[in-house]
Amino acid sequence: MFVSNPFSLLAEAFSPMFMQAYVVLMVAAVVAGVLFDMRHKRSAEFFARRRESARAAAQRELGAAAIATIAVETLVVDVMAAGEFDKWQRRLSHLLTAYGFIIYLVTTVVMVFGYASDPETPWAWTALWHLGALMVLAGGSWFFFALRADVAQEARAPLRLRQADIFIVGLLASSAFALVWHAAQMLDNGAGVTMVLFGLYLFSTTLLFVTVPWSKFAHMFYKPAAAFQKRLEAASGASDLPRPAEISHIRR
Amino acid sequence: MPTYVDMTRCDGCGECVNICPSDIMHIDPVYRRAYNIEPNFCWECYSCVKACPQHAIDVRGYADFAPLGHKVRVLREKEKGVISWKIRYRDGRVKEFAFPIRTTPWGSIAAPSSYDAPPADELQSQLLAHEPDALKVAALPALPARS
Repeated sequence: MFVSNPFSLLAEAFSPMFMQAYVVLMVAAVVAGVLFDMRHKRSAEFFARRRESARAAAQRELGAAAIATIAVETLVVDVMAAGEFDKWQRRLSHLLTAYGFIIYLVTTVVMVFGYASDPETPWAWTALWHLGALMVLAGGSWFFFALRADVAQEARAPLRLRQADIFIVGLLASSAFALVWHAAQMLDNGAGVTMVLFGLYLFSTTLLFVTVPWSKFAHMFYKPAAAFQKRLEAASGASDLPRPAEISHIRR
Repeated sequence: MPTYVDMTRCDGCGECVNICPSDIMHIDPVYRRAYNIEPNFCWECYSCVKACPQHAIDVRGYADFAPLGHKVRVLREKEKGVISWKIRYRDGRVKEFAFPIRTTPWGSIAAPSSYDAPPADELQSQLLAHEPDALKVAALPALPARS
């Protein structure tokens, strides 16, 4: 199962153009969703205003080299290592889900466009596709059932869904149905149940990508921007936080 | 001055929900960020302000009697055992204070659940939990029992 390409098996029933057109549509949906979200929430305007007020409060001018260093720090610490999170459980769960999603997404695009009708897909792509989906399921389920503030802090039932859950539910459903659909393909590619599972995979994936204006999908673009702004403010002296204490009072 | 949450800084960890004694810090159902559901009921204890690991919570007065422009910002440094405050007044003055809050490492105090349950006859004792051991004395003076 880990060495077979679900999209080349699908090509026995549908033209490869079907999935390629679907991927293009989903990319367009995400771009349109993010642009609509930015306009509706006026996020760009908010960040521009915040940058202006930070510039006015700055105590020192930052050069291009300093800004580039901050950008790299943001990328490495805040984005790639999820350094924002205070608790290691949330951080690990987020990293699993984020890297799993990226791997799952990239390998899907590669297999749909590069190996759509090639039964000899390199095993690295197919194995990574499965690994990505499993990582999303592991990190996402951990977050959804145990770490989500609604469950862990508000003590709500895990299956009590709210609008904020659209993104994580779409992500979990897409990964889970992808794996189950592929397992069904391996057992009987032409069976009706395989087609039903393929339909559920398409539905959940569509839910994930077309609900951007209502879901938390766009946080993956806003959070790095906010982290970058926070680091800029700290470096330029515009941060409104108190100075760090000079001495420690902990006796070891 | 009740609290409010800067949603771009909040990561929805729920620390403020846990610590709020008034149970008014909750998680927004749309954005999964914390927010103060009822500022009128805020005790202004600032527990959430100090507990927030992202420094996302600030306080502000009601706009009808406190024109905006002031700020109260808090930095908690667990590794130093210090909470620092930065107060910006509406006339532009800024004051900073640093308060030592503890001398033992963060997380080193055992929770009540980590102790054995006391025997039932301890209910008759005049001593409080962990006395006299926690006070590092052999015994405490006690009133004679009533006959």
